[in-house]
Amino acid sequence: MEYKVEAHRIMSISLGKIYNSRVQRGGIKLHKNLLVSLVLRSARQVYLSDYYSGACLNAAQSEREGNEWDITDSEREKFPPSTTECDRIESSEEPQQNERPEKEREYRENDDEVKSDQADCTSTLQQEQKQNSSLDSVAKVSSETPPETIDEPKESPSVSTVAESDSSPEADGESHQPPKTHVCSNRKRSAEKTESGDLPQKRTKVASSNAKEDEEAEEMDTSNVSNLITIFGSSFSGLLSKDGAKPESEAEDSGQICCDQMLKNLNPWSTAIVAF
Amino acid sequence: MAGAGGGGNDVQWCFSQVKGAIDDDVAEADIISTVEFNHSGELLATGDKGGRVVIFQQETENKSQPQCRSEYNVYSTFQSHEPEFDYLKSLEIEEKINKIRWLPQKNAAQFLLSTNDKTIKLWKISERDKRPEGYNLKEEDGRYRDAATITTLRVPVFRPMDLMVEASPRRVFANAHTYHINSISVNSDNETYLSADDLRVNLWHLEITDRSFNIVDIKPANMEELTEVITAAEFHPHQCNTFVYSSSKGTIRLCDMRASALCDKHSKLFEEPEDPSNRSFFSEIISSISDVKFSHNGRYMMTRDYLSVKIWDLNMENRPVETYQVHEYLRSKLCSLYENDCIFDKFECCWNGNDSVVMTGSYNNFFRMLDRSQRRDVTLEASRESCKPRQVLKPRRVCAGGKRKKDEISVDSLDFNKKILHTAWHPQENIIAVATTNNLYIFQEKVN
Repeated sequence: MEYKVEAHRIMSISLGKIYNSRVQRGGIKLHKNLLVSLVLRSARQVYLSDYYSGACLNAAQSEREGNEWDITDSEREKFPPSTTECDRIESSEEPQQNERPEKEREYRENDDEVKSDQADCTSTLQQEQKQNSSLDSVAKVSSETPPETIDEPKESPSVSTVAESDSSPEADGESHQPPKTHVCSNRKRSAEKTESGDLPQKRTKVASSNAKEDEEAEEMDTSNVSNLITIFGSSFSGLLSKDGAKPESEAEDSGQICCDQMLKNLNPWSTAIVAF
Repeated sequence: MAGAGGGGNDVQWCFSQVKGAIDDDVAEADIISTVEFNHSGELLATGDKGGRVVIFQQETENKSQPQCRSEYNVYSTFQSHEPEFDYLKSLEIEEKINKIRWLPQKNAAQFLLSTNDKTIKLWKISERDKRPEGYNLKEEDGRYRDAATITTLRVPVFRPMDLMVEASPRRVFANAHTYHINSISVNSDNETYLSADDLRVNLWHLEITDRSFNIVDIKPANMEELTEVITAAEFHPHQCNTFVYSSSKGTIRLCDMRASALCDKHSKLFEEPEDPSNRSFFSEIISSISDVKFSHNGRYMMTRDYLSVKIWDLNMENRPVETYQVHEYLRSKLCSLYENDCIFDKFECCWNGNDSVVMTGSYNNFFRMLDRSQRRDVTLEASRESCKPRQVLKPRRVCAGGKRKKDEISVDSLDFNKKILHTAWHPQENIIAVATTNNLYIFQEKVN
């Protein structure tokens, strides 16, 4: 289990590095990003293998315990968290849609905020950025790679919706967690005891005083990272979704196919990637 | 021993000079990014993050005072590269000098190649110590004389003046690299040179700036399949058809340009099988080669990865002939080094004049001398505390764990911000140049 905690931590750090590389002077460094993506992949492999072994254990327990858990919840435990998210999202998608334009604005504002915050480097600020940035990159990457996700195709339609709904509550810096996550989070907590040193975790602890919300935030971040690691599944694809030769408009188009208007503001990121 | 450039451990190293600002507040532009002696060792060039090149010249030895070792003094300073902006890609191009390579001297002037991420420049450094005086139509200050006042004619003559060193850009080799240039290497034919970026190696002729030949291209058709990048490349010191390039996967490929125009297919592949017991999340990062250097005799090459230095015999591809641990005590700290980005540091390495000793840098301003012939190594420190003239450097020890002996430093007290990435060894004498963040230390062999 410690490996899983460690793997998760390494994945968060790696995502932060990938995000920060886009704002570094001199452009994206191909070599460093390649190495970071390799570490991310190794950590993902450990994380998933640990997850599956843990999941089987929990599934067995839950069956024994009977009515205490929903049937759907036990099913969720058997599959990667993104599917879990998918189930939850589908049930509450409609109320979400109305809020989308608002969230779009918030999300974009947050993006700018992150960029301007880059200048002053207090540690908490960095952690916040890293959290936001890891979510940004999740959302951004997911917007571009769903057409190319090969290993788990059934999740790809859900990935982008997952990203947007996951990231938006986090992105506006508050800890309103949709109530739907509450059901799963308790079980998740038992599965993953402590995740010490987690950057996202620190941030939500600062933001909220409610312990339950912390767990939910943890849950969110875990699933965000898990979504990202499925995207990174096959190769370097997570970082470079398109051949650099393809024009920017193509990246925009694919962005629009997979997700909504809300993710249009990811273009600066896709521009940087396409540059390679 | 003097002049042979040998004996890392029989030699006692003592402080000679330090160049650069003393204060701890380091301006980013002053960070030294490359150090290189020229072929005679008389000139020492440094490049920094601000795009400047500073050249030091060794003073001719004072025969009457043999104790007074020859010193390096500033010879020329010039701005080699400026920051640029690529409008098409909306990317800033850093002016940091990645590499400097000297050309062998052919006439009175000196030539060097300097490169940043995208552009290579050939600089001519020449001396001017005479100037013409006695023009008929001009005054000494340049004003034109009234033609009516001229009654006699004279022939202008050269008169001595204060030495002036001029640096002028003679060639600019631009727009040939999509990715960041990491190496340049001058061929032994003195006509061509190569430049390498993350995915391609290009061959240039020193006289021709508008064309270069692509000789290695490892870019996959689909960038998503990218698994390795080129990290360094160098021409063989004697065989003008042979060069090597190292990769982020820890392999080195030797290519022969006679075999084909595009050297994607290597002639030799040097790779050591990975030790499965050392596997971790960071195995791939620490196996990435940061520098490759041929020995002066052309029989061996040395590679530097994060934790070790390996010497390869060009005739044996399956494993190195020698492996030296630089700072093995860091192996258990890889996760923290990943977090603070130190694991991505690219250390360089260098040979001494007769290929018997190799040197490389480490953290805490330590550098390591690895004696191949005597199979011994020593750790030395470049610090302001050992700056008295001719003060002998004391060997340092790092304690990995357990009881710390006197004079040892524990791993946790190492300063990872003080790193020595760039070092250079005089081609003939036991004089070394060691670059800390913004200072250049020159150490010499102790003379009794």
